Amino acid sequence: MSKFISRKDLLSWLEGVSSEKDLVAPVQVEGRLLFRRTGDVSEIVLDYTNTDLSPREFFFPATETLFTVDKSNGRAELEPTRVERDTVIFGMRPCDAKGMAALALPYLQDPADSLFAQHRERTAIVGLSCLKACPECFCTSMGTGPDDAANVDILLTEAADGYMVEVMTDKGKALMPDSLLSEAKADKPAPAQVPLVPAEGISARLREAFDDIYWSRLADRCLHCNVCSYVCPTCYCFDIRDYSEKGGAVRVRTWESCQSPGFTKAAGGHNPRADKGTRLRQRFAHKLLYYPEEFGTSHCTGCGRCVKACPVNIDIREIIGDVQKLGKAN
Amino acid sequence: MSQIENVHTKARELLESQAVDCVIGFGKGTTGGSRPLFVYGPEGVEDLIFDETCAHNLAKYLLNRKGKTTAVVLKACDARAVNLLLSEHQIERDKVYMIGVVCPGIKENGEPRDTCLRCGQRTPVSYDYLAGEPEEATVDAELQYKGVAEMEAMSMAERKAFWEAQFDRCIRCYACRQVCPGCYCDECFVERLDPLWVGIRIAPSENEMWNAMRAFHLTGRCIGCDQCERVCPVGIPLSLLNRKLEKEVYETFGYEAGMDPEAAPPFATYKKEESLGFGE
Repeated sequence: MSKFISRKDLLSWLEGVSSEKDLVAPVQVEGRLLFRRTGDVSEIVLDYTNTDLSPREFFFPATETLFTVDKSNGRAELEPTRVERDTVIFGMRPCDAKGMAALALPYLQDPADSLFAQHRERTAIVGLSCLKACPECFCTSMGTGPDDAANVDILLTEAADGYMVEVMTDKGKALMPDSLLSEAKADKPAPAQVPLVPAEGISARLREAFDDIYWSRLADRCLHCNVCSYVCPTCYCFDIRDYSEKGGAVRVRTWESCQSPGFTKAAGGHNPRADKGTRLRQRFAHKLLYYPEEFGTSHCTGCGRCVKACPVNIDIREIIGDVQKLGKAN
Repeated sequence: MSQIENVHTKARELLESQAVDCVIGFGKGTTGGSRPLFVYGPEGVEDLIFDETCAHNLAKYLLNRKGKTTAVVLKACDARAVNLLLSEHQIERDKVYMIGVVCPGIKENGEPRDTCLRCGQRTPVSYDYLAGEPEEATVDAELQYKGVAEMEAMSMAERKAFWEAQFDRCIRCYACRQVCPGCYCDECFVERLDPLWVGIRIAPSENEMWNAMRAFHLTGRCIGCDQCERVCPVGIPLSLLNRKLEKEVYETFGYEAGMDPEAAPPFATYKKEESLGFGE
């Protein structure tokens, strides 16, 4: 039988969490719904489809100092950044939870990225099932689903006056002890009906369509504005620079995008993806071909944010359908 | 004939006669709205649409088609963008065929865009062919500088706090720049390494520098299409910043960007009698 927590008890539990750890939850910021650190439980939004930006910044921050070099006492001492606090992310949708797991595959591959590993170790994810689909989402075609509990520590599903609770991991158990929960009196509500896209066999079709003029034509309208990769839960490319600062230096890592013209420019000026079509193809081939080949799972989670945010309606759902036909035509 | 039928006829004629290689217009999108559409042959012209969802400024795409002949469907604001690019010698007049459309005012999620409520034009200032019947817009004068007066009434400290809060959520994706018809530098200052103008951190100081410098680079050049604000994924009110600067330019020089391709842009013009402020 499922467990249950009343809305009131959930809010006081969140209050308790926020006094001990960094609590991150969906909050309205000037008309946008964003994951933000908050100490004020009353500002947490509980009724929403999904946030405008993904929660990836809490595992892979937009900007992070990797280490500092202290030269103040005559020797160069390298001090790696350490993650000092525990974080609890509340209200993550299953698609985004799958996204955080997808980030972990490359980042925790040997040699593991130490900062990412620390963020992941010190963060607990409280997921929230989707009872309503976003107009743009398609998670069930991308290896997850509206009530997928596989990548969260605790999964909540909204029910009358409270939430059904599924505690999935030891981390979750430590965070939400059994004593807070009662036996559920009703069945778990049915998850959202999510529209399907024809993704079966898409990797092979993409390889067949690699040299098609389709990519160049699609790129006609692409602005290479990077929005798709910045709102994406799983895009993990970055830029790194070193800066001199008083008494030493820092190495800084920031988000970057494969869509920006300079991204693949190499020393000597060669740019293997100098034109817009090959850059655009790279994004979709990484999501649906290269990453799945390497890690055995889709790199798109079907959250639909890129569809919603693209200023010129480049729609991965449509591209999947188009490429299925292109592949077959060849 | 309706406006869109005129667009189809003109587009077909231009492609059939090979006067242009491509017609850039609007087509149907996948999410209930429209999207930019590139038509390369007469068989594709029927896919062109024009309605109140056609928010995009297609003039930007002319920068990718230098040296090629292109016809482009232009609303009033978009035609000003073409004039801006002509006045700055970025495109050649004889390579561009301007198909003007009379704009109904663009709506987003069923609501008129603020930009369109304060726009004094429904009919483009320039065109080679006008597909619709010319129309005057009724402008709400109060909306012209909506928000600007309130910003001017703030103290410097309040203004600083306001913009810091806005730029704090900038993720430096540069979508504002990519969509802007006035942003076309081969190498943007923000990506320049030597000299380094702005560091790569996505952090308050760098975000502020990026947004302020972009606004200054657009001063006297912004044609007010507000594409920057439309595409910003975190909702920064960039139009407010641009309109403040356009107001300053208008009050000082009586100049509005893109209204006349022959008019000399204030910051690309030098008159001998101008004071340089060096105490001469």
